[in-house]
Amino acid sequence: MYNFVGRSFPRHDGFAKASGLAEFTFDIEVPGMLYGRILKSPYAFARVGRIDTSSAEALGAVALTPDDVPDKLFNPRLLSVEEDTYKDWRVLAKVPRYVGEPIAAVAAPTEDTAQRALEALRVEFEEIYDPILDPFKATSPTARPIHERILRGGRWVEVRNNIAAELRYSEGYLETEEERSSVVVERKFHVPRRYHTQLEPKGAVCKLEPDGTLVVWTTTQTIHNTKILISQVYGIPMNRIDVRKVPLGGGFGSSIHTNLVTLIAVGLCLKSRKPVKLVLTREEDMVHDHVSFEFYMRVRAGATKDGSITFGELENVIDVGAHQVQAYPILGTSLGWFISLYKWRAVRYYGRSVYTNKVPSCAIRGYGAPEITWAVETVVDELAEELKIDPLEFRLANYRGKGEIFWGQGPTVKSVIRSDGVPELMARGSELIGWKRRESPKVKTGRFRRGIGVGRGFHTSGAGGPLSGAIIDYTGAIVKVNEDGSVDYITALQDHGGGTLDAHAKIIAEELKIPPSRVRIVWSGTSTTVYDVCTHASRGVFAGGEAARRAALEVKKKVLEYASRILDAVSPEALRIEYDRELDDAAIFVEGAPDKRITLSEVARTAWQRNWGSISASVSYRATVAPPSFTVYFVEVEVDTETGVVRPIKVVAGADVGTVISPELAAGQIHGGFAIGWSWAVGDEVSYLENGVPAHRMSLADYKLPTSMDLPSDDDFVVVFASTYEPYGPFGAKGLGEAASNPVIAAVANAIYNAIGVRLYEIPMTPERILRAIKGGD
Amino acid sequence: MLSINAFNTYRIPQQLKYFKPGNLQEALEILESVEGAKVIAGGTDLVVDLKYRRVEARALVDISRLSELRFIKLGDGYVEIGSAATIREIAESGVVKEKLPLLAEAAESLGSWQIRNLATVGGNLCTASPAADTAPPLLAYDAELELVSSRGVRIVPLGKFFTGPKKTVIERAEILRSVRVPLTPRTYGWCFIKLRRTSFDIAKVSVAVLLRVEGGFVADVRIALGSVAPTPVRARSAEKLAIGLKFEDAVRVASERVAGDISPIDDARSTAWYRLQTSKVLVKDAMWRAYERFLGAGAWR
Repeated sequence: MYNFVGRSFPRHDGFAKASGLAEFTFDIEVPGMLYGRILKSPYAFARVGRIDTSSAEALGAVALTPDDVPDKLFNPRLLSVEEDTYKDWRVLAKVPRYVGEPIAAVAAPTEDTAQRALEALRVEFEEIYDPILDPFKATSPTARPIHERILRGGRWVEVRNNIAAELRYSEGYLETEEERSSVVVERKFHVPRRYHTQLEPKGAVCKLEPDGTLVVWTTTQTIHNTKILISQVYGIPMNRIDVRKVPLGGGFGSSIHTNLVTLIAVGLCLKSRKPVKLVLTREEDMVHDHVSFEFYMRVRAGATKDGSITFGELENVIDVGAHQVQAYPILGTSLGWFISLYKWRAVRYYGRSVYTNKVPSCAIRGYGAPEITWAVETVVDELAEELKIDPLEFRLANYRGKGEIFWGQGPTVKSVIRSDGVPELMARGSELIGWKRRESPKVKTGRFRRGIGVGRGFHTSGAGGPLSGAIIDYTGAIVKVNEDGSVDYITALQDHGGGTLDAHAKIIAEELKIPPSRVRIVWSGTSTTVYDVCTHASRGVFAGGEAARRAALEVKKKVLEYASRILDAVSPEALRIEYDRELDDAAIFVEGAPDKRITLSEVARTAWQRNWGSISASVSYRATVAPPSFTVYFVEVEVDTETGVVRPIKVVAGADVGTVISPELAAGQIHGGFAIGWSWAVGDEVSYLENGVPAHRMSLADYKLPTSMDLPSDDDFVVVFASTYEPYGPFGAKGLGEAASNPVIAAVANAIYNAIGVRLYEIPMTPERILRAIKGGD
Repeated sequence: MLSINAFNTYRIPQQLKYFKPGNLQEALEILESVEGAKVIAGGTDLVVDLKYRRVEARALVDISRLSELRFIKLGDGYVEIGSAATIREIAESGVVKEKLPLLAEAAESLGSWQIRNLATVGGNLCTASPAADTAPPLLAYDAELELVSSRGVRIVPLGKFFTGPKKTVIERAEILRSVRVPLTPRTYGWCFIKLRRTSFDIAKVSVAVLLRVEGGFVADVRIALGSVAPTPVRARSAEKLAIGLKFEDAVRVASERVAGDISPIDDARSTAWYRLQTSKVLVKDAMWRAYERFLGAGAWR
């Protein structure tokens, strides 16, 4: 058994965060620093003429206009390989394409001066166009092009009918399969734009070192891609940019790409030659910076009388807003999730990403999986009902499990499933929720009606694979044993706040047999770390943890080699290593020879004193698979049929994450995953007025998130971990972050249906919508 | 609409003078003499409005620490609450809990713990949000307001205080001194309920009910609602029709007829249609809950 893996330890940053000592981007102060502000376009679609900066400069501010920054197209996200990277962004826009698009910026010695300077900028608009807000009207041939041409890699591409990207795919003989089907269900689904509500609004602080090196602290899920993008846009050599890692107040996908605020802060810093801090307000972050994708889905699927699924068809229109972050990749992952959910014998897919004059969309926790899973799990429930087959049996008979191919992050990321806890989670979950007492909605009466629903989902663990593919996915780790036996762990991999790096420390500790508290997580930068692509795709523990383990393994080999010199063993292979509880250190020893025993600390000290050299390792690691983590959620809700209000009664959240590295943190991820999923299912959405201004949603006062009072209490929230082992993961572990939220909308929607007997195909399922559905059904 | 670039919610973007008068008289003098002066107590609404530049002010007169305004007093036949009493003080006051349980229930549900610590009943009323949580219970209790200025004192029934969303009869140089709530000698049941998007939110609909039943018939019922009209309102026609009926019939009639007393609109929190539907449900629910309490021991005196 393990010494540390699977046990709970205090987090390395727990005290600092709980006491307010942890420094986030917002907290960083550099002497002589200027404060930046961004001039946001008040129009959804316009052409900027002259910008008069003289009044702003008279106040002592530095002004940055489109003419001050390189006229270079880019995509802020660098995860796709160059030839699949669609570039349509500029640092500052001469043609703003959404309300809030940065046109100019100022920096001044105080926040108040900066604000006054911002208000003193005079912008002439040469043209103001009618905004295009509807993704179906946008593709009309008479619609004004939002972009005329963009770059794909280094190649110019004409944009036709405002279609940002398209993807078609088919396999098998759909018509034949449809003929074989005894039931076919076809439904349309709508998912609106939602705000990520990451805890920390986006921001950046930049300064120039005396030697000209640009130092950047920023809210990002990837410091190395931030470095590369700054280098590409501003033409600075990469070794002259040091993007420092700072604690991140959550990302949920909103900082997979480099934030525009970072590039603008760099521009202000380079122009003023002074340190600059630029932090968005919460309102700017939520109204003008980013939202999730909006989906219009049509799903058609069939099954035979004996309950085997025949075909699946998905039409997927995504409103991406004014610029591409993942307009093309999201079409591939949507297909990947769809195809990997069930053993369709034939599949047809058409995906289309469309430009509109709205805030650019980017990935939100699950990257399309929660939305696709909701649609598919709804149709699957309906198929089972029509066939009069228990929905659990129907799923077990048809899902893609062990030995099947999992598509992970799309057509170029395929893996064979080697660990699968679905049957166990279905069995234990149905027992705990009381699936047997689940009744048909037809027999339910009274004002308050309860319903039980199931949703099965998954997420990939990273975007690795045996072939290089369209996505970049590798990571790195440096492990260094100090001269007293303490260990430094240096990685570029970002922890969003979920405790990913604590899991890594534990993995290193497990490999070296030293207590996790002996491993210090070093806050480093791009200059002192090797490349990590990004903390996304639930890869932090799976890919990053394995890199850490491999670095620790190399260090262990060195420790054993040095120990064999000290202990006079014939070779390092003759030695064993174990955690010595009494000494709270790793002990290296020869079995059966009590005097041949030495601690790791003594080995480190000896290597130093005898000039043997440092004990350290630097590893770069690419995972060759991206295994799915399965989640099976059972939810019981109560619907007030007179007000439409839905209340969660009980949740049984089952997760197959392989070996659980940190049970408490993993359970926390599951609680958080449910909370965000619940908010998508029944909570809020971002909508727009005709002029492209977000409607009513100017602040957190009007974009509501569930509080702890709106969620099930701990007693009514049961977390179940499957007993699986993933052969490719560190000590058998897989990812969790996104799997934790992916089946939630589906389970909640199926529970609401089971309560009231009416299905809603639009989220959020607000009390208004539920009440209308109930009244309409009378 | 102000340009989206005209505010920065990390700052109050206007230069403000700040006054902290030592007594009410001084506060009134400053308010009278300083142009653009506004009264601030808890600031939970005003500071937000200043940040968004929905309100322009040149000076703030802070009355939150004036002991003359920060009290809860049991008088002969009435309870008087100083305008600077915080919502938390009201929610936790023994006098309010015993004599005005409907107000205590509403105060306890207002905002969050942090907001209740700062917000005052005076601010809640003077901001004149249709959703103000203390308004429906105080309307049901037929509360009166004492407004003072350097020219003197006037008493305004709460029912005549609100004139529209964010509008009242208060004049620029007037300060709300206190809220006076008359006590009736008989026993009433009470209930305050509201619908919200989450448990920390401004109400979509709120309902306050005071109820007295004699021999199965409604002897008196007072129904007030929030967020369903330009101001918090009493449902006078529903009340009138319900009084004298058997309780069950009164519930049905009041719940149906409340529609005629309200005029809900669509906004960020809800739709007019939904507010109308749920006002009926909430009136019914609140009357039943008030009835249960009336039958129970803890009824209002």
